[in-house]
Amino acid sequence: MSQKLSKDQIKKLGLSIIGFVFLVYVYFNFFLGPLQRSRADMLNKIADRQNKLDTAQEELHKSAKLEQNAKDGMARFTALRKINAEGAPLAWFPPRIKSFFANEQIDKAVARLEGSSELKQEELSAWLRYNWVIDLPQTDYVMVGRAIADLENSEPLLVITRLSIHATPDQPQFQHIELAATSLIEKK
Amino acid sequence: MALHLNLLHEEILEQRQRQRDPLKLGLLALIGCGTLMFMYYSWNAYRTLEIRSRLSAIDRSWSKMEPSVTAAQKKVTELQALTKTVRALDDYIDSRFFWAPLLQKIARCVAPNTQLTSLDGTLDDAKGASITIEGVAAGREPRAAAEDLRQMLSEQLGHDYSEVKVEFKSLEDLDTLVNLGGTHMPMARYNLAIIFKPGAQAKPTPTPPQTRNRRKRDSE
Repeated sequence: MSQKLSKDQIKKLGLSIIGFVFLVYVYFNFFLGPLQRSRADMLNKIADRQNKLDTAQEELHKSAKLEQNAKDGMARFTALRKINAEGAPLAWFPPRIKSFFANEQIDKAVARLEGSSELKQEELSAWLRYNWVIDLPQTDYVMVGRAIADLENSEPLLVITRLSIHATPDQPQFQHIELAATSLIEKK
Repeated sequence: MALHLNLLHEEILEQRQRQRDPLKLGLLALIGCGTLMFMYYSWNAYRTLEIRSRLSAIDRSWSKMEPSVTAAQKKVTELQALTKTVRALDDYIDSRFFWAPLLQKIARCVAPNTQLTSLDGTLDDAKGASITIEGVAAGREPRAAAEDLRQMLSEQLGHDYSEVKVEFKSLEDLDTLVNLGGTHMPMARYNLAIIFKPGAQAKPTPTPPQTRNRRKRDSE
């Protein structure tokens, strides 16, 4: 049965093989290849977006949890901010101190601003340290002790840094008291 | 032997040759392969379209979610900063030094035969608290009365503060006599320097009830 291929048949066979090779080349390079590349690109994008979505979900969850946990902190922060009045401290702090000591039955109380400075801590960059001198020219030791206890309890952002008590020579029942205090006040 | 003649021999040969034509067979194979390839391509294209629709769905949900995520990230940053600020403020509040308990302690240490004429106290973050007390003491031995005050201060302040040092800066006898309980007693002037670290922190004194009116009435 083995018959030799004629010259014409070999030519046709060669032509068919060339056609086949060409078809395979065109198919893989111009059709299937770009399609698979685009599919791989899209799969990468999907993985990337999915990753972003997962991170975003985590972020939202974390934010909700943090918000829940920070409720106390936020309430505390609001409360601490409310301690200080609005406006320039020089406008409201001296009258407040005067009325505070008046409530403590110390009538003569004068508060003077000595200066203000930035705080070193980064977390408190929005706050300023105000240094005050509070002069109580006529009071007594017991009364001022009680008043200082009240002041320390009611003003958590105020620290007394210096205290000076001197007996008044001509009125031995009174003492002259000077306090240097530092208060933290939020920048406005 | 019978003679067998095949007159169609040439025609049959031609027909066989036509059937075995390599070009025709090649074309048939090509068409077959092409069909398979087309089907495979179509399957791939279908899957690609499916992936594209998945991608656009994810893109849509991302674009929906993105503003809220950005807002959440901003909120997280703000909350973290706020938490740090509150912690720093709490540290500041907790590390305050309270003067009222100190004044109360000093007042409790002062005996009837001693008197304070001045008290100066300063607070330093690094050095701690330093207080200077000036006063006079009276008694048969006024120096001993002043020493009693020094010891009492050292003992009482040592309960609540650390590294307490109470030292005389000066202690001198005075020429004047004072009437104490009907007897004339000599006096001594003292100057005490107190240094301590407010490490073992004292609690703020609870505000005592107002006794001002009663005191007024008593004095009347």
